[in-house]
Amino acid sequence: MRPGGCVIAGFGLPSGDGALPGPDVLSGSDVLPVLPALRELLPGGLQRGSVVATGNWSLLCLALAAGASIAGSWCAITGLPDLGMMAAADAGLDPGRLLLIADPGDGWPQVAASLLDGCELVLLRPPTRPSAQVRRRLEAVARRHGGVLVVAGDWDGAHCRLAVARQEWTGIEAGHGRLRARLVQVIADGRGAAARSRARWLWLPGPDGAVAVAAAGIGETDEAIPSWRGMSTG
Amino acid sequence: MSSARGAPQRVLAVWCPDWPPDAPDAGPEARAFEQVITVVAEFCPRVEVVRPGMCAIGARGPARYFGGEEALARKITDAVTALGIDCQAGIADGLFAARLAARVPASAGSPGVMAPPGVMAPPGVIVAPGRTPAFLAPYPVSVLDIPEFAGLLPRLGIWTLGDFARLPAAEAANRFGAPGERAHRLSRGLDPRPLTPRPPPADLSVQIEFDPPAEQSEPVVFAAKALAGRMHAGLAARGLACVRVQVQATYEDGQDLTRLWRHDGLLSALAVAERVRWQLDSWRAGQDARDGGPGAGDPAEASLVGGITRLRMIPDQLVRDEGRQLGLWGDAVISDRVARAATRVQTMLGHEAVMRPMLAGGRDPAEQVTLAPFGDSRPPLLPAGRPWPGRIPAPAPATVYPVPRPARVTDDSGTAVTVTGRAVVSAPPVRLSADGGPWLAITAWAGPWPVNERWWAAASGRRRARFQLVTEDENAWLAAVQDGQWLIEASYD
Repeated sequence: MRPGGCVIAGFGLPSGDGALPGPDVLSGSDVLPVLPALRELLPGGLQRGSVVATGNWSLLCLALAAGASIAGSWCAITGLPDLGMMAAADAGLDPGRLLLIADPGDGWPQVAASLLDGCELVLLRPPTRPSAQVRRRLEAVARRHGGVLVVAGDWDGAHCRLAVARQEWTGIEAGHGRLRARLVQVIADGRGAAARSRARWLWLPGPDGAVAVAAAGIGETDEAIPSWRGMSTG
Repeated sequence: MSSARGAPQRVLAVWCPDWPPDAPDAGPEARAFEQVITVVAEFCPRVEVVRPGMCAIGARGPARYFGGEEALARKITDAVTALGIDCQAGIADGLFAARLAARVPASAGSPGVMAPPGVMAPPGVIVAPGRTPAFLAPYPVSVLDIPEFAGLLPRLGIWTLGDFARLPAAEAANRFGAPGERAHRLSRGLDPRPLTPRPPPADLSVQIEFDPPAEQSEPVVFAAKALAGRMHAGLAARGLACVRVQVQATYEDGQDLTRLWRHDGLLSALAVAERVRWQLDSWRAGQDARDGGPGAGDPAEASLVGGITRLRMIPDQLVRDEGRQLGLWGDAVISDRVARAATRVQTMLGHEAVMRPMLAGGRDPAEQVTLAPFGDSRPPLLPAGRPWPGRIPAPAPATVYPVPRPARVTDDSGTAVTVTGRAVVSAPPVRLSADGGPWLAITAWAGPWPVNERWWAAASGRRRARFQLVTEDENAWLAAVQDGQWLIEASYD
């Protein structure tokens, strides 16, 4: 591989359309890559050593972890005994590079710290509301090992916060059809460079199971279902 | 013990029918079989484990000591049966015939077999010396366990080992190559290889005493490194490696703290010492938690609760050292960093707490994944990549409840919605209350999709009718009706 051939994330990435040629997943030394559909919400990717909070457990957490897993990172998921593994695999997480710790128990901060030592991305649903001391300690561990902590819950002082503001399922009616795709509006804000709040419409998941950028949101067009047919990720 | 090639030694095989024939060499079955091996080793320390459920010893010496082959076979079966394990023993020339002799059922007779004397003839037979070819002759060629021969030989009119043995040896080798020659030797009652018993493991454990007892964990960990080095040297001198190593720390009050660590011949002395440190730390953390004390797991104040008087390392499941066994945990290469983190969490929470998922087949969202503890390999419960008619269509739910949660679904008038045996819904579902939660209006629904699994088995069979429901808060649920009860199986978070 030619050293000049790869795209370094975070440098010169246009935040508007993101239509860069190159690999689907960007790679870089101080960021973990994210799925192409999330690039506008997280310009550059997931900053190593940072904490990303998502408010609630949802498929969005898995989508956040998928980019790093596709790029070859080990991921750990802890505190989620009812994780749907098929959904994780469909979102792009590689089961071969995944550790599941369903019930970390009362010592969950210790477990999360140990996992951050070995895995580049740790998805955590804290069983209890973390104290300020626990938060500071885990933030320090993430910084030291250069890992990313994705929290399915609230985390005061998270570097980046994502939340699903609205969602709508398509393909299912009263008594017929089936769940096919979900249109969600994701809002991202954070600290520092990521302070500007951004909102994007995503297919989570899309009709083909993948996470993709939606062309239009709920109410913005009344042809919601056909819109994914001609959709492009750019 | 030594015998010329071609004149096979007398072999006694012990067969325990409780173990499935395809039990893996490492795993819970192999560990459970250890107790049988221990008992058999009382009679002859050099036991070869053929597979979990079957082991063999050279019979000549022990038979002389214990008063004859029948007496030896009876004593061994009695001793194993005393453990509460079903067991049969057979003696013949060579391992191959002995394995078959051990599996002869109680009432069967075979030509050329000297039935063991006694009122109650135990299962398994003793084939008199020199009669092994006659004993083998009536067996079908499929017992050779060479798949291509099992189909090929009968088509050539060779149905039994006797037929095969009557072929000239050179022709068998010409026509079927090396496996044919080997099979021909087996059919004639000759052994293709001598018994390779495992050496007695007792003398390979190492230990160190602490006098006065070590109050701090640091000197214990330091001594553990030297101890592990000694254990590795002892193993290497015999060309062996251990699958696991048992670390046993004895405290002043006589309490033993024992833990098994997966080794696979891959751990350095330093790595073993590190595991000893984790073991001591986790024990102390557990002690603190029980006492209600704070500061669980802060390595700075590493004082032990009571001093350690002895540290012992026992290599477990000795295997021949064949170099590094890579890919033991599956295809993905596991870096030291990940393995260390996973093992560290296993120290805190137990072996089964850190799981690696594997995608499997099945219809349920919960069935479609098999979990294996980190460090173990386990085949998927249901094969993936096959059509599973009736499986839930994509997208897959992000939350799958390990135990389905009870729910209530009513129609417009407030009566519970039911599904008939012919999958007809009594009325459109209108409201849902999941797990005693608030009532939510159902805005869209699909179903019922009947699932009638394993109807032939009363215990594991079940009939369900599945629905997808979307409630007013735009949450989607995977629900099912079983025996008139609504269950939430998963939710599309």
